[in-house]
Amino acid sequence: MSILVYLRRLFVTIKEEIIILPTKVITILFILFLLVLPVILPDSYLMRVLILAAIFAMLTASWDFLSGFAGQLNFGHALFFGVGAYSSALFNLLLKIPPAGSIPLSGLVAVLAGLIIGFPCLRLKGIYLALTTIAFPIILTGVVNALPGITGGELGLSGLDKLTGSRIGDYYIVTLLMLGSCTVMYKLTQSNVGIIFHAIREDEVSLKVSGINTTKYKLLAFCLSGLFAGIAGGVYAHFMRIAGPSTLSVSTSFTIIIYAVFGGVCTIYGSVAAVYILFPLMEVFQLLPQFRTLFFAAIVLIILLYMPSGFIQWIIDKIEKTCSRCGHKNHALRKICRFCERPFKYY
Amino acid sequence: MQLEVINLRVVFNKAMILNDINLSLNKGELVGLVGPNGAGKSTALKAISGLIAWRKKVSKGIIGGDITIDGLIVFNGERIDEMPAHKIVSNGLVLCPERRKPFREMTVLDNLLAGAFLERKKVKIKENLDIVYQLFPKLKSRTRQISGTLSGGEQQMLGIGRALMSQPRLLCIDEPSIGLAPIVRAEVFEKIMEINKRGISILLVEQEISTVFKMTSRNYVISSGQIITEGTSEKLLNDNVIRKTYLGM
Amino acid sequence: MVVDIIISTLINGSIYSILAIGFSLVFGVARIINIAHTAFYMLAAFCIYAGTNSFGLHPVLAMGAAIIFVTILGLASYKLIIEKIRVHPAATIIATIALAMIFQEIMILNFGAEFLSVPVLVEGFTVVFGVKITYQQVFTFIFMVILLISVWFLLMKTKLGLAIRATAQDRETANLMGMNESMIALVTIGISVGFAGFAGAIVIPLTVIHPHMWLSPLIIMMAVVVLGGLGSIKGSIIGAFIMGLTEAIIVFLLPMGSFLKGSVALTILIIVLIIKPEGLFGVSIEGE
Repeated sequence: MSILVYLRRLFVTIKEEIIILPTKVITILFILFLLVLPVILPDSYLMRVLILAAIFAMLTASWDFLSGFAGQLNFGHALFFGVGAYSSALFNLLLKIPPAGSIPLSGLVAVLAGLIIGFPCLRLKGIYLALTTIAFPIILTGVVNALPGITGGELGLSGLDKLTGSRIGDYYIVTLLMLGSCTVMYKLTQSNVGIIFHAIREDEVSLKVSGINTTKYKLLAFCLSGLFAGIAGGVYAHFMRIAGPSTLSVSTSFTIIIYAVFGGVCTIYGSVAAVYILFPLMEVFQLLPQFRTLFFAAIVLIILLYMPSGFIQWIIDKIEKTCSRCGHKNHALRKICRFCERPFKYY
Repeated sequence: MQLEVINLRVVFNKAMILNDINLSLNKGELVGLVGPNGAGKSTALKAISGLIAWRKKVSKGIIGGDITIDGLIVFNGERIDEMPAHKIVSNGLVLCPERRKPFREMTVLDNLLAGAFLERKKVKIKENLDIVYQLFPKLKSRTRQISGTLSGGEQQMLGIGRALMSQPRLLCIDEPSIGLAPIVRAEVFEKIMEINKRGISILLVEQEISTVFKMTSRNYVISSGQIITEGTSEKLLNDNVIRKTYLGM
Repeated sequence: MVVDIIISTLINGSIYSILAIGFSLVFGVARIINIAHTAFYMLAAFCIYAGTNSFGLHPVLAMGAAIIFVTILGLASYKLIIEKIRVHPAATIIATIALAMIFQEIMILNFGAEFLSVPVLVEGFTVVFGVKITYQQVFTFIFMVILLISVWFLLMKTKLGLAIRATAQDRETANLMGMNESMIALVTIGISVGFAGFAGAIVIPLTVIHPHMWLSPLIIMMAVVVLGGLGSIKGSIIGAFIMGLTEAIIVFLLPMGSFLKGSVALTILIIVLIIKPEGLFGVSIEGE
């Protein structure tokens, strides 16, 4: 009996909330596509591309969480990624902890890193923060290079345990991990904590005056973002079976920011979509490796010129419109709002 | 007629801030523009001095939504509503902005020299500087001080002084008394009268009606983006409805 | 050793200060975080290499051509790309990153990713306290000092400088003074990129040229800007010499020095910021 009620509720939700909105339909289809793909097309190379895309999607979403939502513009997000990669490599190689343990542990180490860099960054704002955060991964790169005995120097640490035995196993673990963590981040940004993050970005002083401990929330943002980025780093290290200084490089940080802005800042889903579009696209350009970065940069530039609020956001604006009275979303073809029946005027 | 504003309309993102405003000002006049908070007084001054158009150009409808400006503004027989803000200044219409907005990290002297940006002759700048120092002796003793560290009253004087350096023929002053102690306000108002006596017409936006009405030759009362009435101070004060509803006296 | 450190500090410090002043000027006036700033420095170096090697120009002529070319390129990229998206701060940052990457890739395509070098302008060296100092080093340093003084003169003593400083503080009010804000932004970008090109042109005989040479000065330049306080010219110069000195000491004194030089310099930056968040000479004035 109760199962029927739940089924009915599910059915109603699907009918009333999901089918009506194109973005939700696309999201559901996208998730289904990701889950079904290996069954239809178990191509090893494709799997590899999508696994890396999932890892970077997670990383980019965590950047968006920190920089987009909480407004703590981080130019050195590769720090968390690198810390995650190196720490899981060290846990795995030195302490012989299997991936199932070393990846969560690396997430925790990255949380610690978040606390450490969050502390000096608490007092900085805007561009000062942006320009300072860029320093942290470079400091760590220097340390890594200076201690080749522990970190492997410029070659990095190699020979980590495999994530699972098989490509498909890897794929499912990484994809589910990505979907899970991005859902958590998205839900967090929609919750009360998310509202406080928004407010920190807009006007921190007013928030302080309202009696909210912004320091705590800013550190929380750094830690959570660090956690997910660290997990992404750990997964990356175990998947590639190497943790090298490239995970800490400036270009990694910049690439993350490019993905996020391409998708539209402050959305989470935008970052994920952007990575899943751009990353495979980059692989296509692999055919002409010398032109790859050039194409990448050129595409980004062109997109920015014509859709400065981000490609994904631009598409969403085209297929959905928000009612100016009740704030509910409608698909673009509707003449009146589906909730308050206010007509959409065309100016 | 030195300044004539005809059917000026400013719309921010579908909210009508100014609704067909008409006002005019003769040479040498001191005209008050009074009204409650949010009536559109500052917006009117900003529209006249070209700042709204500038903001529209800079924000491109992305920050703060769309801005529409309509209407005709004529200054000294020349249309200025389509002129960029920096050109309007060279025509002799100068705005002293709300909250004085000094260049906070620059010295007092640099601030004043910034006001004289358009004047090429060094002699003339020196002359104007002397006039400003004579009007505001306090500034002279603080020439080398960073302007952000001045007191509110001194900053207001700096703001007016800086505007005078641009050699205005019409000076628009936006709320000079804001955030000042009564004794300082009186001094500022006195200086404004003095400037007016030098032959510079002044369009004064103020909330402190009791003082303004003693100074001005004519006043416009503005509320919710519309000019309610205009007239001499006595006429407005004698009209009970206007006095109670819009002037709160 | 001490003389080595001093020479290295003076040269690197002066380069960093020129770069940092240009960067912070553009940020101040146009609110653009120009990541591509040092890419122009790299471009100037390549232009001189191409000018002297491919076209057989005299090095001095090549330098002049490089500076002009880089300035025009900077202005063009501002006009064609950056100005259109300036309203979105995030998009502007990405666009400048993308520009820098495009320049880098084009240079790799044209010249390969090898290390190149150009001949020095001034031959010969002198020995001071047992340390060899080439005339090129002396020449570079003198030129940098001249450039620094002229920047200072431009900003502090000329009308244009006054307008630049005023616009940097308040674009709206600068308009009310009759300053054409968008024109001043354009001029500032021209000056800034021109200086970056000049720094590149002057310094390349002392270093090697390669397409990634913009990254490490970029980081140090940003650190200098933050360390000295954004918008403070004095701060930029002093911050640059602090960074240069730290780097030099680390390189000459520590065994793994060349790996750690960036790390230690940036650690100093972070320590300073913890103590004084607005930088050494930043003016902390509360906004309204």
